[in-house]
Amino acid sequence: MDIEQLIKDTFTEHEHVTPDADTVLAATRQRIYRRRPVLSRPLVVAAGVTALTLAAVAAVALIRPTNNPQVGAPIPTVADLSMPYSLDWLPPGEVNYLVRRINIGATTEDPDTPLYGGEYMLTVTADDQTLDIDVQQFRMVSVDGAAFKSGPGTPVTINGQPAVESSRTEDPGGYELYVAHPDGGTMYVHVSGTAPAQQLIDTGRQIAQNIRFPGTTTVTPTFGLRDLPDGVRMCTFGVNGSEPGTSYQLGTCATMPTILVNTAAADDPTGTPGQPVQGHETRHLDENGYHRLWVLDAVGDTPVLVAGWVPLTDLYDIANRLVLPH
Amino acid sequence: MADYENFVQVQLPRLLRYATMLTGEREQAADLVQDVLVKVYRRWPRIVDLDHPDRYVVRMVTNGYLSWRHSRAARLIAAGDLPDQARPDDFASDHAAREDMWQRLARLPRRQRAVVVLRYYEQLADSEIADLLGCAQATVRAHAHRALTTLRNGLTIEQMARAKES
Repeated sequence: MDIEQLIKDTFTEHEHVTPDADTVLAATRQRIYRRRPVLSRPLVVAAGVTALTLAAVAAVALIRPTNNPQVGAPIPTVADLSMPYSLDWLPPGEVNYLVRRINIGATTEDPDTPLYGGEYMLTVTADDQTLDIDVQQFRMVSVDGAAFKSGPGTPVTINGQPAVESSRTEDPGGYELYVAHPDGGTMYVHVSGTAPAQQLIDTGRQIAQNIRFPGTTTVTPTFGLRDLPDGVRMCTFGVNGSEPGTSYQLGTCATMPTILVNTAAADDPTGTPGQPVQGHETRHLDENGYHRLWVLDAVGDTPVLVAGWVPLTDLYDIANRLVLPH
Repeated sequence: MADYENFVQVQLPRLLRYATMLTGEREQAADLVQDVLVKVYRRWPRIVDLDHPDRYVVRMVTNGYLSWRHSRAARLIAAGDLPDQARPDDFASDHAAREDMWQRLARLPRRQRAVVVLRYYEQLADSEIADLLGCAQATVRAHAHRALTTLRNGLTIEQMARAKES
């Protein structure tokens, strides 16, 4: 026990060496956004008042061509995807983004119509100053349930709605705000970076004041899906603007999504060669019933992975419904 | 990617503490966890479907530590070279004893240190450690035995007595 207790005490005494979590998280985000910058598609937001327009097309629908396109039929194109809400104001600067729409269930009145939440993770860079901005919708969190590291927060009002905010002034600074949504739940805004504390506060408040429902913001994925099988929905999508990555989760959305479809690292594919899909070579792998199917060079030199606890034939079925860039 | 962000915000403090105990150094711990979180991000759709994604990520941190090729650890250990035999006056306080132990831990081979951290800091059973490291329980016990032998070596009678009293 003696030396064992000394070891335990030694570890406990050195917990103060642990790095700051916020700093590590910010650095991680930077690395995630910075990867493959040559392919980045940054957004330029004009001074102060420009709406975030991630793609030119506003109206969005999944393309649903016939099952057997005939010669001369229009070639399916990758459709834009819509976010459930928009950010009508962002600070000036170059914007890198990751946006995600998530199915979060359905109403009891209309159980067949999925409800979607969304998240924007943005990095806005201007004049060597970088702001990390995160905006999320929390349908299950009330303003009273808001939790901050620095304490209970300060009550404020945003557009007539009750809100609570908290500001962290030490370097790197941060500002958090939960504002009640009229339909229930809250919107969460987090702004962090090296800017002065008051700038973080002003930025966060102004973003919160300019969240608009329903959203008109659309994003352009690197590849799409068409004509999903009966009973299969797109439960989640994620589009990364700086690294051209796209992901989908498919299923009934009533339970955990069963099929994952996303862009994969070029060196990921393993397994054995399979049937060609849309003229692309494939590889597939069975890991105790978890099947993975890679469609090689599907998006440029990037493979697309289709995976899930489903038969391989189901994965081929989805793979044949991919809408790939031409 | 709300669930990734939520997961990371919940798990990050624990992961950082764990990485700190493994590496013994703040910057290395931050680098190690950053590396893992970027990988987790890329694999998130797969990881989130696991029964225990938190355990999986702890395993990633452990594997990252064990396979790390950074040279800083060696440099730090060389800079902090220990006397073979501790002097009694170095242990005038419990604090000094724990500082000495901290440096002894830094000299352990990585796999032994991982076992020590998992057993005495994470408080995992040997069976859980074996599962995490992908080895037999007997191997875990062997690593722990060797590590404790190394850590005891050089401790003074006074320090052992002090450790027993604490």
